[in-house]
Amino acid sequence: MTDFIAAAIRIATPLMLAALGGILSECAGVFAVGLEGMMLAGAFAAIIGAWASGNDLIGILLSMLGGATIGLAVAIVAVRYGADHMVTGLTANILALGLTSYLLRVAGGGRPIAIHLVPLEAWPIPGLADLPVLGPLLFAQPPLTYLALLGCVVLAIFLTRTQAGLTLRATGENPEAVFTSGAEPLRVRTLAVVACGAIAGLGGAVLSLQQVGTFTDGMTGGRGYLVLAALIVGRWNPWGAAAACLVFGAAEAFEFRLQSFGVPVGSYIVQMAPYLIALAVLAGLGRSSKLPAAIGRPFHTE
Amino acid sequence: MSEPTSSLRIAVPEQTRRVGFRLQPGDRLVVRILIAVLLSMLCAGALVAISGHDPIAAFIALVTGAVGSPHQIGAALNRTTPYLLAGGGVAMCFRAGIINIGAEGQIAVGGMGTAAIALVWSNDLSALATAAALLGGAAAGAVWAGVATAIHLGRRVHEVLATLLLNFVALLLVQQVLAGPLGQFGAGFLQSPLLPRATWLPRIPPFNAHVGFLIAIIAAAALSFTLWRTRFGFALRVAGNSRRAASYAGFSLPLLTWSVMLLAGALAGIAGGIEVLGLHRRLIEGFSLGFGFKAVTVALLGALEPLAIVPAALFVGLLEAGSLSMQRQIGVPSALVVVIEGLTMLFVLAATVRRL
Repeated sequence: MTDFIAAAIRIATPLMLAALGGILSECAGVFAVGLEGMMLAGAFAAIIGAWASGNDLIGILLSMLGGATIGLAVAIVAVRYGADHMVTGLTANILALGLTSYLLRVAGGGRPIAIHLVPLEAWPIPGLADLPVLGPLLFAQPPLTYLALLGCVVLAIFLTRTQAGLTLRATGENPEAVFTSGAEPLRVRTLAVVACGAIAGLGGAVLSLQQVGTFTDGMTGGRGYLVLAALIVGRWNPWGAAAACLVFGAAEAFEFRLQSFGVPVGSYIVQMAPYLIALAVLAGLGRSSKLPAAIGRPFHTE
Repeated sequence: MSEPTSSLRIAVPEQTRRVGFRLQPGDRLVVRILIAVLLSMLCAGALVAISGHDPIAAFIALVTGAVGSPHQIGAALNRTTPYLLAGGGVAMCFRAGIINIGAEGQIAVGGMGTAAIALVWSNDLSALATAAALLGGAAAGAVWAGVATAIHLGRRVHEVLATLLLNFVALLLVQQVLAGPLGQFGAGFLQSPLLPRATWLPRIPPFNAHVGFLIAIIAAAALSFTLWRTRFGFALRVAGNSRRAASYAGFSLPLLTWSVMLLAGALAGIAGGIEVLGLHRRLIEGFSLGFGFKAVTVALLGALEPLAIVPAALFVGLLEAGSLSMQRQIGVPSALVVVIEGLTMLFVLAATVRRL
């Protein structure tokens, strides 16, 4: 059982990081539909960076840059020009899909370049890792998983205990009031979306560097959209969203278990589980979920 | 922050849901869209140059690959067909302020419905068998859109999430069906057996394009008529501009949402059916991959105007048809087309939004 939960946490790590970014973006009032593309760009930049430099840390830093680039594209079109957030995010996802596939082939001289790195290994924390149940769960994980858990703490403090976090949330609720108080809603939103990209990019790095050690076209496979559901279920709270991501992680871990036991349920039906769970939970929440009031609404100074 | 409409001007509270798309009115729209396309082609040229190839040569290879011979034109028309059909449906939804991203799933399930009908019920009357199979596809696509609509309206789940998540479910559903009842045993791929010849779509001689393209053109004309000449189309346009105004005018918003979603689902389902009967002649795994976004692309590129979607869909279809020969001849990866589509969309979005 401990093994299973530890695996669920590992599988949920990219989702959790993306969710942290998504919270920043959506609390500032910009729908984070572009998470999928930000993760994909991050996954690509991470693997190329780590492969070219031979240093995983460079790959991780580049993943933030890759995600932030997609974030910037979303910010310019959705925030500055005020285009529809949903469609802009979706477009950014396609752009990321196209760019990564294209560059993967350019790097390989026409064929997708084959990069296989050793996935990041677990860093057991001396002492803590030997604790009975918590040890294997929380203190014997790979490095980026620690980062995701730490990120939840930092984001929770940032949103509720700092001036900047308050301004960010106010921008999502009432940008006009923020403007009246002397801050720049457009700047806040732009920064939030770019930061969202950088953090979601890290989530992508988990997929490529930490989980498999390679990059394949469209390897995010809809995880960004699951995170969107996790944000709503978790009510834009870092811990709530992380818990929701963990449920999706558990569904996927469960799927691997089922397959290895040769359960006669159709494997494709089992793969539907995360999406069906997401739909069921969203439908269950129904009207009780409350979005930031000004989400999706462009801000214009007049 | 008022909600301006041309004839109806009603005070609308701030909390009114900001809906769909407000395109810049007037004829400069065409210029803006053309500039957006041009800009994205320039960016693509830069990307080709980065990869160490000659952008001009790549462009020439792209064009000749798309329209170099009647057969190539036919291939491009075949590619255009599903985007045109599904894009028309998406445009109607967007007009009503409903962001339907579910074309991909609706196409997948529609193809499945068509294949199922074609496999179990076929007769010697080719036209009848084909029509029955396509109708089955339309029904299946509409059902899938109906599921999303029920979740959206019944449980207040945002339609983008409902349709997006169902796309993944639909893809897996088709795979499951191909691994089971509809599958061809021992084929090595997930695919159905070859469909009966009577259900195949006839081909148009010099181009070898299937008649699906004609169906799509007729559908586009019918949509244009519906949008601009019927009460339903008027209701859609009013609802897209202001839901309050639509309610005030006595239109039922749930009924509108149901009708336009089922319409879009049926069109996407037919698109899936045409892919199956006209192109692959069997149901294959993942045949609908990426189609949902392309439907959105052509809908916006065509400014949500059913007839203008015809050139928009042709643009995307020609690009894709030409990209393969560009890859063969020059060595520029055909994935460049996806980049061009993404960039075009970003530029179109930035250029056509109505500034308040």
